[in-house]
Amino acid sequence: MIHDAQMDYYGTRLATCSSDRSVKIFDVRNGGQILIADLRGHEGPVWQVAWAHPMYGNILASCSYDRKVIIWREENGTWEKSHEHAGHDSSVNSVCWAPHDYGLILACGSSDGAISLLTYTGEGQWEVKKINNAHTIGCNAVSWAPAVVPGSLIDQPSGQKPNYIKRFASGGCDNLIKLWKEEEDGQWKEEQKLEAHSDWVRDVAWAPSIGLPTSTIASCSQDGRVFIWTCDDASSNTWSPKLLHKFNDVVWHVSWSITANILAVSGGDNKVTLWKESVDGQWVCISDVNKGQGSVSASVTEGQQNEQ
Amino acid sequence: MEKMSRVTTALGGSVLTGRTMHCHLDAPANAISVCRDAAQVVVAGRSIFKIYAIEEEQFVEKLNLRVGRKPSLNLSCADVVWHQMDENLLATAATNGVVVTWNLGRPSRNKQDQLFTEHKRTVNKVCFHPTEAHVLLSGSQDGFMKCFDLRRKDSVSTFSGQSESVRDVQFSIRDYFTFASTFENGNVQLWDIRRPDRCERMFTAHNGPVFCCDWHPEDRGWLATGGRDKMVKVWDMTTHRAKEMHCVQTIASVARVKWRPECRHHLATCSMMVDHNIYVWDVRRPFVPAAMFEEHRDVTTGIAWRHPHDPSFLLSGSKDSSLCQHLFRDASQPVERANPEGLCYGLFGDLAFAAKESLVAAESGRKPYTGDRRHPIFFKRKLDPAEPFAGLASSALSVFETEPGGGGMRWFVDTAERYALAGRPLAELCDHNAKVARELGRNQPWPSAHCKPQPQCGQGCSPQGLGLFNLKDMAPGLGSETRLDRSKGDARSDTVLLDSSATLITNEDNEETEGSDVPADYLLGDVEGEEDELYLLDPEHAHPEDPECVLPQEAFPLRHEIVDTPPGPEHLQDKADSPHVSGSEADVASLAPVDSSFSLLSVSHALYDSRLPPDFFGVLVRDMLHFYAEQGDVQMAVSVLIVLGERVRKDIDEQTQEHWYTSYIDLLQRFRLWNVSNEVVKLSTSRAVSCLNQASTTLHVNCSHCKRPMSSRGWVCDRCHRCASMCAVCHHVVKGLFVWCQGCSHGGHLQHIMKWLEGSSHCPAGCGHLCEYS
Repeated sequence: MIHDAQMDYYGTRLATCSSDRSVKIFDVRNGGQILIADLRGHEGPVWQVAWAHPMYGNILASCSYDRKVIIWREENGTWEKSHEHAGHDSSVNSVCWAPHDYGLILACGSSDGAISLLTYTGEGQWEVKKINNAHTIGCNAVSWAPAVVPGSLIDQPSGQKPNYIKRFASGGCDNLIKLWKEEEDGQWKEEQKLEAHSDWVRDVAWAPSIGLPTSTIASCSQDGRVFIWTCDDASSNTWSPKLLHKFNDVVWHVSWSITANILAVSGGDNKVTLWKESVDGQWVCISDVNKGQGSVSASVTEGQQNEQ
Repeated sequence: MEKMSRVTTALGGSVLTGRTMHCHLDAPANAISVCRDAAQVVVAGRSIFKIYAIEEEQFVEKLNLRVGRKPSLNLSCADVVWHQMDENLLATAATNGVVVTWNLGRPSRNKQDQLFTEHKRTVNKVCFHPTEAHVLLSGSQDGFMKCFDLRRKDSVSTFSGQSESVRDVQFSIRDYFTFASTFENGNVQLWDIRRPDRCERMFTAHNGPVFCCDWHPEDRGWLATGGRDKMVKVWDMTTHRAKEMHCVQTIASVARVKWRPECRHHLATCSMMVDHNIYVWDVRRPFVPAAMFEEHRDVTTGIAWRHPHDPSFLLSGSKDSSLCQHLFRDASQPVERANPEGLCYGLFGDLAFAAKESLVAAESGRKPYTGDRRHPIFFKRKLDPAEPFAGLASSALSVFETEPGGGGMRWFVDTAERYALAGRPLAELCDHNAKVARELGRNQPWPSAHCKPQPQCGQGCSPQGLGLFNLKDMAPGLGSETRLDRSKGDARSDTVLLDSSATLITNEDNEETEGSDVPADYLLGDVEGEEDELYLLDPEHAHPEDPECVLPQEAFPLRHEIVDTPPGPEHLQDKADSPHVSGSEADVASLAPVDSSFSLLSVSHALYDSRLPPDFFGVLVRDMLHFYAEQGDVQMAVSVLIVLGERVRKDIDEQTQEHWYTSYIDLLQRFRLWNVSNEVVKLSTSRAVSCLNQASTTLHVNCSHCKRPMSSRGWVCDRCHRCASMCAVCHHVVKGLFVWCQGCSHGGHLQHIMKWLEGSSHCPAGCGHLCEYS
């Protein structure tokens, strides 16, 4: 059973992970599907994979039921295990790379309730920070905020690394979404607790910041609801939820398009729906094609064309 | 049937009740075993040997079998087993190699019955015959198995595995005479109890030691084995050759395996290191445990189902000195947590979606939407060998592609590549970009930001117009001049909206939502020359008494700004002659409309007359850019920003601009549009952005004399104390373009050398070389 599928930065490769412990990488250019690599190393079902920014090379992280996070690296065309993180006491459910501006940082959310952050410190070394008891019963998803620099950018002397505020969101079995922020001393602190779901939060997705500095997070839950959280004013840091839709089944995933204007939602009914915010701020399902609208999108849902 | 009746008798028809509970033991447990009445459990360890009664709410210590002052090594138990037919009979395997039997029916405190000291090393396992009351089997580290008849003092027979240490022995439930034994070298042997000379069958089951085995209770000849290789394998022993039926992959070495009663495919396992949990697996789903018990804090050493016909109660003992009763319904179920779907938005707007195959298959009968323009470009089917789970545990993966112009991102690439950002007069840039947008079927209002000085059309009427004209029934191919005329005409009759910034937004919103290609033109008009001059001459006038009447203020700087802008002042001057042409340029985004419903809203000049806020246009453009950025089209925002340059820059705060730039550059890089990205970086006016190009460029300078790297500062080499790169002609240090002859390595200022070479082809340094420069 495939648990996750992720396309790489350039959209040329697709990584999938499965219960059979394997992580597979496909070349999907030109509509083809060529298996490039079959990565073996996990000892349990692999829940999620994540591609790192290509500026660090071809790096893929995978997390598994075996409590491990493995970071794979391609060198000279062959994929190999580059690092193995075994710092969790239970299944690791989610991995997410930080925006490349921060360096190579990986956030991992685990069923043991902790979130660990692996930072590459060079020469094959990874520094681990752990947030214990981030979510009671377990953490199901992590998603980084896009890199936004506080205050004025222009005052930064060129060449010096801007002082980013690192943030990420996590969703867990305590029905909460939590926002975490790195303090100046490098410690991670809970910044916000977003409460609206009535069951496990299955996925959170922080929208890419293209355009205005409004922050948007999409979250979905076991309770079938999908919320869009927005924070218009970064200083006050108040987030307001808007119910996108209540589905009749578990909603497993939410995923933003790269310009952050379309949200793909996949639910337990095996449908993918695409949503777009209309002018009046309402989210509308655009996956039903309306012929009058030549624009944005076509449909995926319902008829998964089962061609084989 | 025979077995069934026996058990029912044993059960006496009573129903088991209880809850998840645990009790603390005084010492770590090594093994546990349940009495056939399902009400008592014996716990044995190095320094513990007790019987507990399992009550509804708790465990109650019933009997301590470790009696006597001097602890004997015979009491250090590696294993314990309770006879399944005789409630009073127990056997323990001691770490010193002794097999002890216990008779609870003895009246004395010491219940020890018999002592067999035949094994030389630790006995790992003892096992009673399931139906024969007096037969006991033991397996030891010394590699031997012994069969005892409890009515005799010595062993009846000895079996030599001829392999390594014996880890487990289990009587078959199916065959009266058969037992299985597992070995440290990975072998499993089948023995006939009547034939101690050699085993019936032997096969290698695991890589490394096989720690445990268990016969399937429903006597179908299935044997489950668990090994250090972290696998549990299920063998069908009925066939001639042992056939591997299932293989479960756990995350740690398997120390114990026990079939779950009444559940044909379930078995419980625990590990001997690392992992403290107990798992119940469905052998058909070999990767994710069906249930997980997480109560123990240290390695679980013994597991036993409480009753051979009750699947819900599991007892366990652990190194953490606790005894637990687990209720199946309280177990956490990792399967429930498992995410059966994967979803990912690709770069080009394509979508990868993996889902449970059963669901996909169930829906395959359904017709796809007629309007569905996405196609799965591949579809993968993973077949699970386990039939009943084939639907549940396999996934289908589809990738949906978008058509160009649909939700995809091809437009982004095309637009990025074709937009002209610089190098031409402003108007041309705008026109070009508008054309590109039109060709790509996008609806972007490229401002024909002409801002030209227009000849006066009327004294009191300032042609200050950022107008949105509503054109109706207008063929796209109309000549521009006509169009302007028409638009002007229409403007008068049409609704005139004053709040033009709001109008602009609304208008664009319409485009977006209607999806039709609606042009949203606006003209940036300017005051005509005469008025300007007037104010130029009369600066006092520039600050009118009426604070609302701020036109001069605005008109003045705006015009100057425009005239000063490098791109195409001549062009503007040229056009200045014809009043109408300026309007024609305004068409920009009048695209081939789908429904031919133009909506150009016009704002009458007169109405605007000198009442515009100072940065009216800026506001408008800013709002527009913000709008686009918000719509996820940062490309538009940045392109306009670059093309309009100084005109709008001041209206949008630096940070936002920079944010747009970086976002756009990031996007471009994702699409591998390096050239475009570089151009954007180069053209951007934001310092932080333009320095991106210099971020990773380092200049290394070596001294021309000693070839050593120069220190970062100065022009004097630290080593040879000579000035580097001296001009051979003027003997000064060259701080700029340095040309040198590759033959003699002498050189100097470009100008000097060129001049020198006009007169002589010899090296100016006097080395005699005939310098060659290409």
